Amino acid sequence: MSCFRIMRQPSLVCLASLVWLVCLSVTVVQAADPIRLTHDGRMKFTPVFVDGGGSLTYVDFENPKVFRLRTMNWESKETKVIHEAAPAPEFDPAYSADGNYFSFLRATGGLQVSLVIRNRKSNEEVLIPPEPGFSGYRTPAIAPDSSHMLFSFANNFGQDIFRVEMNGQGRTALTGAKGINVWPSYSPDGKKVLFTSTRDGNYELYEMNPDGSDIKRLTDSPYQDIRGQYSPDGKQIAFVSHRDGNAEIYIANADGTELRRVTRHEERDDYPTWHPDGKHLVCVAERDGSHDLYLLPLND
Amino acid sequence: MLNIGSFKTKTCSGIGRRSFLQMSGAIPFGLGMSGLGAVTADEVDDVVARAKSIVFVFLWGAPSHLDTCDPKPDANSEYRGPFGVIPTRTPGVHFTELLPKLAQRSDKYTLIRSHIQSAPGHPDGGTVALSGFEENPKPVKPNFGSIIARHRGFRGKLPPFFSIANGVVMDGGRRIEAYGGGEMGAVYDPFMVGASETGEVNIPALALMDDVNPLRISDRRTLLQKLDAVPRSLESAKFRDWNRTYQQAYGLITDPTARQAFDLTRESKQTRQRYGQSVFGQSALLARRLVEAEVPYIQLNYSRHVEAITPGFEFGWDTHLYNFSLLQDQHCPIFDRAFSAFLDDIYDRGLIDDTLIVCMGEFGRTPKINVRAARDHWPQCYFSMWAGAGLQTGRVIGESDKNGEHPVTRPITPLMVGTTIAELAGVDSQARAEMRVLDGGRVIDELF
Repeated sequence: MSCFRIMRQPSLVCLASLVWLVCLSVTVVQAADPIRLTHDGRMKFTPVFVDGGGSLTYVDFENPKVFRLRTMNWESKETKVIHEAAPAPEFDPAYSADGNYFSFLRATGGLQVSLVIRNRKSNEEVLIPPEPGFSGYRTPAIAPDSSHMLFSFANNFGQDIFRVEMNGQGRTALTGAKGINVWPSYSPDGKKVLFTSTRDGNYELYEMNPDGSDIKRLTDSPYQDIRGQYSPDGKQIAFVSHRDGNAEIYIANADGTELRRVTRHEERDDYPTWHPDGKHLVCVAERDGSHDLYLLPLND
Repeated sequence: MLNIGSFKTKTCSGIGRRSFLQMSGAIPFGLGMSGLGAVTADEVDDVVARAKSIVFVFLWGAPSHLDTCDPKPDANSEYRGPFGVIPTRTPGVHFTELLPKLAQRSDKYTLIRSHIQSAPGHPDGGTVALSGFEENPKPVKPNFGSIIARHRGFRGKLPPFFSIANGVVMDGGRRIEAYGGGEMGAVYDPFMVGASETGEVNIPALALMDDVNPLRISDRRTLLQKLDAVPRSLESAKFRDWNRTYQQAYGLITDPTARQAFDLTRESKQTRQRYGQSVFGQSALLARRLVEAEVPYIQLNYSRHVEAITPGFEFGWDTHLYNFSLLQDQHCPIFDRAFSAFLDDIYDRGLIDDTLIVCMGEFGRTPKINVRAARDHWPQCYFSMWAGAGLQTGRVIGESDKNGEHPVTRPITPLMVGTTIAELAGVDSQARAEMRVLDGGRVIDELF
């Protein structure tokens, strides 16, 4: 049977080689050395700016049992846990553009993860519980006008992107549950949603209208293209790709053209998020086996 | 920092440790570990032992074989999963893109893709994986490590069987029955040690000695009185087990060379970084130090618990939910880095010929993606990795079918795993028969 495998692999190997050559020709757009923002080395996930860049919220793998939401004051770089008394993992933070809403996930039982939507002015919370059994939400994103939000949730052997009102009502599936659909991100004007889907085989980036119509594929690689984020002006996207052999950060035009590579390191560079100035990205980078937040200055 | 029981000594300052050493020298027991006699060796014949040490890397919770070492890129979307495949160093063999470092090192181990076992749940599946037998009917059979410990006996400065985790491996609130000696008795249970992601080593058994901690008791007479009183404070039925743990713990504290095995600060910064800042990474480094200390059997657990994202539990490989995101975000990056560093280290230090490394979970995960876009338990097919002890490497043994649901070659069972480990450790068929262990087990001939 190993011979059978060998017979079937040349096309894959050739494809990988082609991708590698394409990668070598990609422009590197990082302007200066990255600036390290944290120094504890713990695993971190999904940084996101809030309050016009005044602070940065991220997920801290604080100990082997707990994810915690932590916020960094952007000026002082001091960090603090958002919910000191949280007894369970909390993760996947998202904010509305005006900062009035904060959404995140909270483990509420054995493989049970609820979606929390908080009005930051009134402190009122809507908690959307998972279904019975093993069940949980992923990757919330709030519309720029705070009229509704998106999240990913299991649906018929796949993972669909759903839309709900900010009160948790009116759940509507957008992506047809074809494969895994996850990491939705609104364009700044709210007219497009960038997301990742396996509908064509492996993880690729797609865009759609906020009602789920007009889905278009933006990337094409035999390896993961994931976690897309629109730039503040909506003209570019940043995302993570494994096309060079490990997780690296790339930028492209919003339609997927003019791919440019931002990071180049044998260790992992992941979870990019745009600084509101559009001239920097923040990411989680693994260096010497530790994971910290880094600020990446970009070329114009 | 070395955390022994509930107190810590800063190894960088040396103050606490030095004080303890000075104090321990005044303790009159004069016990060397060789004099304890709590764990005595059966007939031992080192001549036939190809492996001085065995490291059993237990991926507790059960990793998906399709998303790691047995991908099925040509299966349909109901099975395949979202990850691309990458070539390994072994011609024609591919892994998913989640394990690039291990793919580059496939010449350092042999992969088995045709495991099966009989128990579908974690508590029972864990017991089968660690002992070769189901937990019922009772009594529970011993962990492979307990068999090796009994065969080798307590001849060195360290206990013969270690389990590295932040406590006994559990499924929810339930301890895995075959975590230790089973029907052979608790005297063959593992000695527990744990490591934090920054390399602090925790030895829970030494917490028993808090009352006799010289850092707390400056008066020698009081110390001796406390030591004498400890056995009387325990139920007699439990005393023997406790006494053995106590003696081992005592030996660790009083013997500086024994204690050095736990001190990860003796490693260079570069070495510690290679393993990664994770509990599993630093635990793997601790395992390597225990190999150098010639500990016969080390069970290196990826996590204490199976549950992946559950309040109060460590993140194991039980990914009924978020299987794909947890593997890509967390489990595989940690495992790929740490286990690769461990393999490199064992090879680079010339330890590989005398060390057997076996890496596996208790079973696989459903090839068909579940209704939650994740994967459930699948004992009908899974994988393992074998290295060292003179075994050939860079090979694949066994094969699963087109969807990874069943082996299409001779199935390899946990009893065969245990029997092969025992054989390589010098516990031959006669010794196994005399100990009445691994009854009916056959060696995995294909490995030799």
